[in-house]
Amino acid sequence: MNNTGISLKEILLSSFDDIQAEVTDEQRLTVNCKKDSVVTVLSSLKNRGYNHLALISCLDWIKDNKLELIYILTSYTEESEKGKLNILVKTKIAREKAELHTVTSIFENAEPYERELHELYGIHFTGHPRLIPLFLEREYKIPPFRKDFDTKKYVEDVFDQVPFIKDKKGKK
Amino acid sequence: MDRNKIGKWLKSPGKMGQKYSLHALYFCTGCGIIEIPPTITARWDAERFGVIPVATPRQANLFLITGYVSVKTLRYIIRSYEQMPEPKFTVGFGSCPINGGMYWDSYNTIKHLDKYIPIDGWIAGCMPRPEAVFIAVTHLWTLIDKGMANGYKKYRDNYQYYRKNQEQVLGKLEWPPLFSIKN
Repeated sequence: MNNTGISLKEILLSSFDDIQAEVTDEQRLTVNCKKDSVVTVLSSLKNRGYNHLALISCLDWIKDNKLELIYILTSYTEESEKGKLNILVKTKIAREKAELHTVTSIFENAEPYERELHELYGIHFTGHPRLIPLFLEREYKIPPFRKDFDTKKYVEDVFDQVPFIKDKKGKK
Repeated sequence: MDRNKIGKWLKSPGKMGQKYSLHALYFCTGCGIIEIPPTITARWDAERFGVIPVATPRQANLFLITGYVSVKTLRYIIRSYEQMPEPKFTVGFGSCPINGGMYWDSYNTIKHLDKYIPIDGWIAGCMPRPEAVFIAVTHLWTLIDKGMANGYKKYRDNYQYYRKNQEQVLGKLEWPPLFSIKN
């Protein structure tokens, strides 16, 4: 077990009262927190030296009717003292009208990640400077990475409807 | 020069010229483009077959579609294809442009590329090796000899249908039609 993970867990549990923290692996600390306390947890972790937001990921728990966001934090500067520790900050939000406050004020590199989640999962990030499409050109009724998006039906409805070209003159 | 081919040169010098001066457009689509640098450089040396990569579509007459085509890439494939001077030849590279390949149920990948631009030949495989590119080039020579590599003529004749298909997937196109659309 990593001592730094355990000590950081104690610090987090003493300073916030509505979170659960757990050392799930040798180099992994998982923090479950509520939707409203994500920004404060991330900013306090940033002040403790974990200043690199590696990724924002998302999971669709369709049976629980929840979307789970995972912020993965690591550190470059304090690596020698604390070891390579990855911190996973997890939060769950409702699937309908999914909304969350942006973290671009703390980590500026969160901007493209949040734009990606906005178009692939349909999460609206309040306070985001420019929430415009990143990759996709087409409009989707259901965001394509959600579990209830039927890709086979979508392909049949859109791409299979395009007809093949028939040469009027036939083969030469 | 090969003496056996003098008859062919005298009979149809245009076709022979097209055969041995294929200028490939260096358009990086998908994962197949990783096969092109060893193909054109010293290891396999595509210049043995008269294939040389060029920078812009206006200098090219061979278009290799190397890998899966997303909706966003299709827009630029069509723009590049329409800029190329005639005669132009297109080769679909890998199984993804043929029918979607492993992205057959993807929400954003074009399944059949020949619905949107004409394709003269396909190279099947995931990924085809550089030798397969040379086999495709020699097959293309045969097709040019027989006058069967006529995708650009097909595009000119059926332009209204191609344009309609392109608009069906991409929405409104921001460039004017290449040929006049007659009904």
